[in-house]
Formats: sequence, structure tokens, C-alpha cells
Amino acid sequence: MLSIPPTLAATDVASYLPVLLLITIVVGFAATNLIASALLGPSRQGDIKAMTYESGMNPVGTARKRFNVRFYLIAMVFLVFDIEIIFLYPWAVTFRNLDPSLSDATVWLGRILFFILTTVVAYIYGYRKGVFRFD
Amino acid sequence: MGGMIPKPSFLDAQFVTSAVVLLVVMNLLLVMAGVAIYLERKLSAYIQDRVGPNRVGFDLGLPLLQKLFGGFGFWGLGQSLADGIKMLLKEDYTPRGVDTVLFRLAPGIVVIPALLGFAVIPWGGEFDFPRLSVPVLGWTIEAARVEVVGAAINIGVIYLLATASLSIYGIALGSWASNNKYSFLGGLRASSQMLAYEIPMGLCFLSVLLVVGSLVPRDIVAYQHQHGWLILSQPLTAVLLFVCVLAECNRAPFDNAECEQELVGGYHTEYSSMRFGLFFLAEYAHMATSSAMWAVLFLGGTSLVPFANLPLVSPDDAGILAVLAKFSVLFGKMFLLVCFMIVIRWSLPRLRFDQVMQAGWQGMIPVTLLILVTNALVVFAGLATLPVLLLSNLAVAGVAAGVQPLLPKRPANHKIRLAGSRFSPLDHESVLVTTRAQGVAVIDDPRRTSALSAH
Repeated sequence: MLSIPPTLAATDVASYLPVLLLITIVVGFAATNLIASALLGPSRQGDIKAMTYESGMNPVGTARKRFNVRFYLIAMVFLVFDIEIIFLYPWAVTFRNLDPSLSDATVWLGRILFFILTTVVAYIYGYRKGVFRFD
Repeated sequence: MGGMIPKPSFLDAQFVTSAVVLLVVMNLLLVMAGVAIYLERKLSAYIQDRVGPNRVGFDLGLPLLQKLFGGFGFWGLGQSLADGIKMLLKEDYTPRGVDTVLFRLAPGIVVIPALLGFAVIPWGGEFDFPRLSVPVLGWTIEAARVEVVGAAINIGVIYLLATASLSIYGIALGSWASNNKYSFLGGLRASSQMLAYEIPMGLCFLSVLLVVGSLVPRDIVAYQHQHGWLILSQPLTAVLLFVCVLAECNRAPFDNAECEQELVGGYHTEYSSMRFGLFFLAEYAHMATSSAMWAVLFLGGTSLVPFANLPLVSPDDAGILAVLAKFSVLFGKMFLLVCFMIVIRWSLPRLRFDQVMQAGWQGMIPVTLLILVTNALVVFAGLATLPVLLLSNLAVAGVAAGVQPLLPKRPANHKIRLAGSRFSPLDHESVLVTTRAQGVAVIDDPRRTSALSAH
């Protein structure tokens, strides 16, 4: 059967401590920069200055209005595909260790091909529905 | 001896190495961003037959330093430093009508994931950490063989993908908070483009992982030491992943999110001072990290030549010299790739947004899926050697190139006839159109041409 590589078998939580350290450093870096910039720079207010920049025109209305539904579609389709891909990672890492001479090796291959086929079906459905058209 | 404070259990050789690597690489990346900005301006200047920044040195306008350097300009290398200082000292303005909290947080949310990613990149192979004793506290750190990497975690590549995709949040939030139509459109474009290209990127990663059989970058490098660089066996995957990386970094020719002609500055239109600087920094940090990852995946990481194990950069060497040599090799590859990205930006025209999205959804995803399936079949058949992988990869490229013209074409670019233009001249006009054979441009203005032909 499939043997799991030793790197995946044992997860040492302590190995994530450097990540924690890095997050601390980076958050500190970002915060310092933002705060220093706010403190060091001058501050002058003005009625015209406070307008949002729309190429010199006086802004009309707010920018937060309805936008093209296509962007929602992209987000939803992305979720479908991305989750499929995430499920494929464990397979991709362990597939090399599958012995093709095993009796049910072809079954393993067939299962994963079926799983990829579901992605293809979703893709064709989206294609036919015009989700991927941007003209 | 035994000090007052007991030694924390996590403080071993690996943790010390990781901390040192993180601090060093973090600073190098920040300097590298400055150098990359300088390079961008210099290379673009050379491409456009200009000189570029060549005056600003490191004297900071101080008379003492000016005297010390004798007016030497350092070829303009101080430009990025001066820009950084300028950004800190400029006004940090918050316009009316913005969502204040999100507007101020967004640059941080963008820059944090951009600087997190490099932690898993194997900068220097392995290192024989010597036995070390901390003087005052009385702790000893036992000798061990450690990895020269920011964080030796076993999810490797997944960590990088996860952090890279987090920066969408900052861009989307910042653009929405700005209450500016340009920003909003730029943010929509950026996020949808990054979503679109994340799928083929994941599939390219999967195709490589299938062949290598490990998520850990160290193992990917070791595989390439043994079997030759993956760019030789997977050229199509390499090219496609590089395209995805360009799109993920919002780099030209995919920089629709911030294209000047359409959207002013895109998602950072309303940002000034260091807030803008952090957006800028995040872009270059992304470029550096993803170039390094690309070099690890396809250019053999720390190995110098494709098939041979040179003495100092072979995986078995674990001395301090070997670590430095490997680090320089990988850093050099990363630097060259960043330069390549810059040259691409200044030589290719920007794609239109619908072209970008169509290429992503209708082109990249089917081709990368096909690569994944072929690689799976090759690995299943036990034929995962360089020639077979290369052939299967080229076969996919051939199939893609063969199928593309057979696909149904939609009328995409309607050319609207404009009466009186050079393509649709009026009845009484004759138009001279310049052909390649003529070598020089002939006047093709219909009115002047008709005037000329009347003579």
C-alpha cells in the first residue's frame, strides 16, 4: 500500500516557532513604518484636498456601488477549483510511492483520474455557461 | 553552572539557525527591494536610451559626508534610499469619505504576507551547527546538522502558496476603503486576476510535486541534484509557472490593476507617503520571493550546474563556506530572474484585461490540467526520467498548439469602420499605406496623400 514519507508522518509543532518569530518581526516592521510615517510627516487639511482624486473632476457619488456580477462568478468558480487543487496535494506528494505492480494500483489511479474528471466537468459546465468569457 | 533561568526547550541548533537566517534574509530582501527599484529605473532607462538615476549618492546632503565622498555619486545607487526617506517624511493623507480603519490597515495587510513567504526557501542547504554555549545564562546548544532555512516546516510549498495568496485581502480592502472609482476598479481587477492565475499556479506546483514526491523545498533541490534541473524535464510547466508568477505579482504584462492610462494608479491611487511605499515594497518582495521559489523549483535551487555536483555546492557539504556558496548561487539566480522580470516589463506591451482573464481561464487551466494528468500517468508507469518527462511535456505543448486553432472563435475585437480613416478612406481619397519593403514611413494621412497625388 501507500507508504507515507517520514517528512509528513511527524509534524513537530516547535518547527513552526520561527514562523511565529517572523510574523512578529514583519508585523512590527509594518506597524513601525505606518506609525513613523504618520508621526513624521506634515499634516495640512483642506476642503479641496480631501476630495478623492478622479482626474481633477469633482467626484460624483460614491465608489461603493454595484459592480459587474462577473467578479462574483470568478470568486465562486475560484473556490470550486481551488478546493479541488487543495485535495490533490496529499495525492501528488504520495503518488510516487505507489507500486504499479500492486493489484489495485490501477484502481488508485482511476479514482484520482475520476476526481480530476469532476473538475473537468465543472470546467465544461462553467465554459458552456459563459463564466470564462470576458468580452 | 546552571543559570537562574532554565533553557527554553525550543532553543536548539535549528531554531538559532532559523532565527539568524530570517533576520539576515529579511534585511537582504528589504535592501534587495531598493536595489530592484534602482535596477528597474536603470534598465528601463537603458532600454529607452536614457541614462536613468545617476546623481544621488549616500551623502544625504550633509557637508561632512559630501567632503568624505568627494562628490562621488555612486552611480545613483542612493536614489532608493533617498526615496525611502522621502516617503517617510511626506504627508500621510487620509482623504474624506474613506473607511479610515481599513484604509490605514490595508498597506500593512499587503506587506505582511509579502514578507512572510521567503521563510521556507532553502537558502543554504545544510549546516553542521557547532556546540555553542551562551555565556551569561549558562545554556549550551548541542551540535547538530541543521537546515539553513527560515523555518524548517514540512508543509514547505503549501506555506508559500498560502502566504502569497493572502495579499489579495490587503489589495481588495485598500481599494474598497479608498472610496475612489479608479481604486475600486483596480482592486477588482487585481483580485480577480490573482484568483484566476492562482489555479494554474497550483496545478503547476502539483505537476512538479508529483515528479519529486515531496512538499519540502530541500527535497525538491535534492531531487534536482540527482536527476538534473526540472526546467530541462518540464520546460512547459516552467514557462507557465513563470507567467502565473508575473500575473500574481501584478507585474507587466499583467499589470492591469495599476495601469496608468486607464486607472491612474489603480488600487493605490489614494495612498501617499509610506503607505504607498509599503504597497510598492510588497510588489518587489513578491517578485523576489517568487523568483527564488521558481529558481528552487526549476533551476535546481542551490546547485550551480544541471548535472554535476560541484564540490562546494553539493548537498553533502555542510560547512560554513558551503552554506555561503549555496546562498550566493540561489541569491544570484533570484537576482537574475528579477532582472528578467524587469526586462519583460519594459519590452512587452500590456495585455488588455479581458485578454488576461481569457488567457488565464481558457488557456492556462486546461493546459496545466493536461500537464498534471500526463505527469500522473508517466509517474504511474514508473517512467519518470528526464527524457520521458521532457517528451510528455513537449507533447502537451504540441497538443495545446494543435488544438488551439480548432477551437471556435468568437468575434472579440470588432473593428468599427471609421469613415475617412486610413483603413476606410472616403471614396475620393487615395491612401498611401507604408509597407515593410519601403523601409521608411510614407505619409499616410488621407488628406495630405490626396493632395500629394493631385500634384
